[in-house]
Amino acid sequence: MHIPDGILPAQICIGGYALTGLTAWFSLKQINRTPNPSEGVPRAALLTAAFFAASLLRIPLPPASVHFVLNGLLGVVLGYYAFPAILVGLCLQAIMFGHGGLSTFGVNAVIMGIPALVAAALFRSRDRLFPAQAHARWLTGVFAFLAGACGVGLAALLFYSLVILNLPAELNAQAEQAALTTLLVAHVPLTLLEGIFTALLVLFLEKVKPELLNQRRKTHVL
Amino acid sequence: MRLDLDAYVERRSPIHTWEARCKLVGCMALILAFACVQRLWLLPAMIGVTLIFYSFSRLPLSFLRHRLRYPGLFLLGIVALVPFVSGETVVWQWQQVTVYREGLEAVLLITTRFFSILTVALILVGTTPFLSLLQALRSLGLSPILADMTMLTYRYLYDVTENLATMQTAMQLRGGTELSPAAPRSRWWSRLRHVAALLGTLLIRSYEQSERVYKAMRLRGYGHPATTGAIARSPIPLSSWFTLMGIGAIALSFVVAELCLPQP
Repeated sequence: MHIPDGILPAQICIGGYALTGLTAWFSLKQINRTPNPSEGVPRAALLTAAFFAASLLRIPLPPASVHFVLNGLLGVVLGYYAFPAILVGLCLQAIMFGHGGLSTFGVNAVIMGIPALVAAALFRSRDRLFPAQAHARWLTGVFAFLAGACGVGLAALLFYSLVILNLPAELNAQAEQAALTTLLVAHVPLTLLEGIFTALLVLFLEKVKPELLNQRRKTHVL
Repeated sequence: MRLDLDAYVERRSPIHTWEARCKLVGCMALILAFACVQRLWLLPAMIGVTLIFYSFSRLPLSFLRHRLRYPGLFLLGIVALVPFVSGETVVWQWQQVTVYREGLEAVLLITTRFFSILTVALILVGTTPFLSLLQALRSLGLSPILADMTMLTYRYLYDVTENLATMQTAMQLRGGTELSPAAPRSRWWSRLRHVAALLGTLLIRSYEQSERVYKAMRLRGYGHPATTGAIARSPIPLSSWFTLMGIGAIALSFVVAELCLPQP
């Protein structure tokens, strides 16, 4: 879900860089408010590397296979570190594999990073909305599902809107709307699958290593 | 997975010896100038500048061919679709199939911009060691948190990838899930749970490793104000300034031509 070079006009690319700069500044400001900001850096870096490797893994979805985006899960686990983590991941993907591009780096960061922050806030809202049920596993599963599905769903919406609305030759409004709706409807099964996968993974982490999820609550509250 | 970032950085060429900060600024200016181009008559000049720049870098053509392949696949989808759905002026028609002139022009514009921008980006990353690029970004104002995260992610990416491959093999040897679409479909849910557990274990291992890495870094002074202060900036050679000005002038001329010159 990365926009390659050449498709978007310069105004959108520069706008993407500006929005990315603003969001990165906001995330780093929140990280710097913690007592020891450098403490989270190795953790965020190694988890970024793990997410990077995991996103290359193909999951069987008969009759084909897919790979997960995992930006919702990244938000759930890393909180405010998710946006810097996505910047790092996109930078390495652009340099190593040519996924995305340098001119569209800012736009791609917005497409992946802002949904990750929304997913993080959504998952975190569980504690505020249901304080009496802090240990209910089903509730953790539901919010993890919503975070995972929201991460990829929002990213797909941003991605297709930007690509279709910025093609150099004008599509007529009806064709644009039809294309956007078709592509988004086609993404619904993948969104649900990503939500289910995120829920399974978060429930696994809560059972085996709960501090990995609680760390986020301790160090950088969303 | 093959991670070959610095395969051609040891070669000798005028682009290789160009100072990293100037190269970064110059290449980004050229990339954004190319992204500005909307007029078709500027495309030959754009390709010409790109090819001359690439020939100066002395990077092999196989490098360019190899790196164009994957992003080219995405572009292929657009190239195959746009001429048939976008535009008003009919160029060719057969029953329900119509090819539009505006769509063809859009394809030409997108493909040329894609080729030129990607080639300049490849010149930047192909002629500069990754760590020099990171240092250049840091000296241009990149946050130390982002710089440290990038360096550590790059450092441990190889380890984590190997870890994942080993865990996958171990899981399969124990009779666990085979991660292939050719595997039986009947236990799809159980396979999904196994993959979630596999990735969960990878995250836990990485988390535990990060705790050890942080302790080791602390012992070496990481996080101490003396080690996170201002970074040393080496002086930029005059020749690098001149090259930057030359590339900047080329980039500016594309922007001026796009914004100010009338359509021929």
